[in-house]
Amino acid sequence: MRQRPLNDDGTLVRLEGIHKWFGDLHVLKGIDHKIHSEQVVVVIGPSGSGKSTLLRCINILEEPTQGSVIFNGQDITDIRTDLNKVRTQIGIVFQAYNLFPHKTAMENCMLALKKVLNMVDDEAQERAMTELKHVGLEQKADAYPSQLSGGQQQRVAIARALAMRPQLMLFDEVTSALDPELVKEVLDTMKRLADEGMTMVVVTHEMGFAREVGTHLLFMDDGKIVEEGEPREVFERPQDERTQSFLSHVL
Amino acid sequence: MAVATAEPARPPDVRGPTAPLPLSIFALGIAALVVVAGGLLAVQIAYAVNGAPELTEHCLVNGLTENQTGSLGVCHIVEAFRSSALTVVLLVGMAVGAVAVVAGFSINARMPTRRQREHAIAGGVLGIQAIVLGVLLFWFRAGKVTIFSRSFLNIAVLEGYGDDFLTGAKNTLYLAFGGEVGGIILGLIFAVLTLSTRRVVRAPARAYINFFRGTPLIWQLVTFYFGVNLGLGLKLGTIQVGLIVFTLNTGAYAAEVFRAGIQSIERGQIEAARSLGMSYLQSMRYAIVPQAVRRVIPPLMNEFVILIKDTALIVALGQTLGQRDIFSVARQIYSSTFNATGFMAAAAGYLIVTLPLIRLVNMVERKLRSGLTGIVGQ
Repeated sequence: MRQRPLNDDGTLVRLEGIHKWFGDLHVLKGIDHKIHSEQVVVVIGPSGSGKSTLLRCINILEEPTQGSVIFNGQDITDIRTDLNKVRTQIGIVFQAYNLFPHKTAMENCMLALKKVLNMVDDEAQERAMTELKHVGLEQKADAYPSQLSGGQQQRVAIARALAMRPQLMLFDEVTSALDPELVKEVLDTMKRLADEGMTMVVVTHEMGFAREVGTHLLFMDDGKIVEEGEPREVFERPQDERTQSFLSHVL
Repeated sequence: MAVATAEPARPPDVRGPTAPLPLSIFALGIAALVVVAGGLLAVQIAYAVNGAPELTEHCLVNGLTENQTGSLGVCHIVEAFRSSALTVVLLVGMAVGAVAVVAGFSINARMPTRRQREHAIAGGVLGIQAIVLGVLLFWFRAGKVTIFSRSFLNIAVLEGYGDDFLTGAKNTLYLAFGGEVGGIILGLIFAVLTLSTRRVVRAPARAYINFFRGTPLIWQLVTFYFGVNLGLGLKLGTIQVGLIVFTLNTGAYAAEVFRAGIQSIERGQIEAARSLGMSYLQSMRYAIVPQAVRRVIPPLMNEFVILIKDTALIVALGQTLGQRDIFSVARQIYSSTFNATGFMAAAAGYLIVTLPLIRLVNMVERKLRSGLTGIVGQ
């Protein structure tokens, strides 16, 4: 149903030698990785290891200081790329939800549909409602973010990203700001999305989710991918010392 | 999520009950202030109503004459100020105030409940206010009451100037509203420019803002009227120049207000907007600015209050009859009657507009503080 990537080998995103400096701080130290279509890549690692920065480099919210991001065969780190167009195909959900507080749930979902995809009101409304139903919040369509719980706000944020019908969804520690009892509803929504075949990159501290839903796991430390593989495999038989140490602390 | 099932109980009254003693001190304080202020008013009214329609010896000696406009009315005011009735009233009021001060401040620390203490302190404070007001009035009485009243309180002088004041009010409001609306539009544009990551875009915007914030408004008015008009070969009139300069000046201040407002919006908002594929300008227009505008309404309204008063500076450009603002109408009255009562009327005119505005600003501020989304229709 969803559009297949144009590449023959099923690669949706290719990261080539990504480095990122913030001033003198070297945050990403050479990341090479391929993300295949319909993969659920979970990224774990200690805080400060560069997970979020890596995620934000994929849609160029942070511009890599060096290296290329190839999305759908197109080098989107090339400055001639129309990033606005590329970003319509890459949804991102943030830790702090970042819903527009002056707009209702419905309007949050409709804004970019109208202004970026140039949909007419009815069409945008229909699409927005479909995605709110998708995350189980159709009855909250007219609520403002301040009237929703954290979990509901995060699901609206997911619906807002999905409404653009992206080929790739990025999740940046989306449950870290939530009260414990609200985490499940968000993770369930993400699991359903994974089951539907969405390509996802998920930075998370939820090891259960990483193990259950992830199809590929990256362990990062100190700006590098230290270890990767099938999640169960890595959880059960971590090879690298740092992975072992990290997992022994969080599990 | 937690739903309170019990009836919402009233919070306990931690201030406790009051008692006759502190309550009477509180009443004493109120009484003192009422006697001083109300007494002055009552004596003045009594003289205005019953005063003989003639100029007293004292008034004549001090320069009021039969054929001076409003002399009779002013003489009533003078005589009321000089009257022994007022002396008695003021002394009584101050004495009552003194009792309240002594009693209130001597017992407040010993009061067993908070409400009793607050009543005792309030009584004392009101007593101080009554005494201060009384002293000021005695001081005033010792001065040149006749000359002051003739120059500043001679309402009869204002007769026939009602239409002029209306024209003045119209022009003042026209300049203030026009300048504010223009300034807000200009300010918004320049705020966005100053936030550019490109120095070549930022620099001219900053230069404009700093120049108009760094030079006196009256200098801007005069220079624009005489200099720029001449230099560019324009023939702009007083009102047009006023509107342009007030717009440019307010624009500089509004730009800083908007810039602060935009910068106060969390970074995540623009990231969310940009991630959805919106351009920088779209993100600003649909996501950031609508939020920033709500936050800057109170400071912008303060700017408006300031602008209303500053429009008086247009007097420096010279005005035809139809171009006069409130202040220059007052000046006109002064120069044709040598009487300053017009300025008092002008002050009243400004206050009629500014006081409700100031109140509105405070209300909006309170409302905005109560919630992030504040005045969003919910």
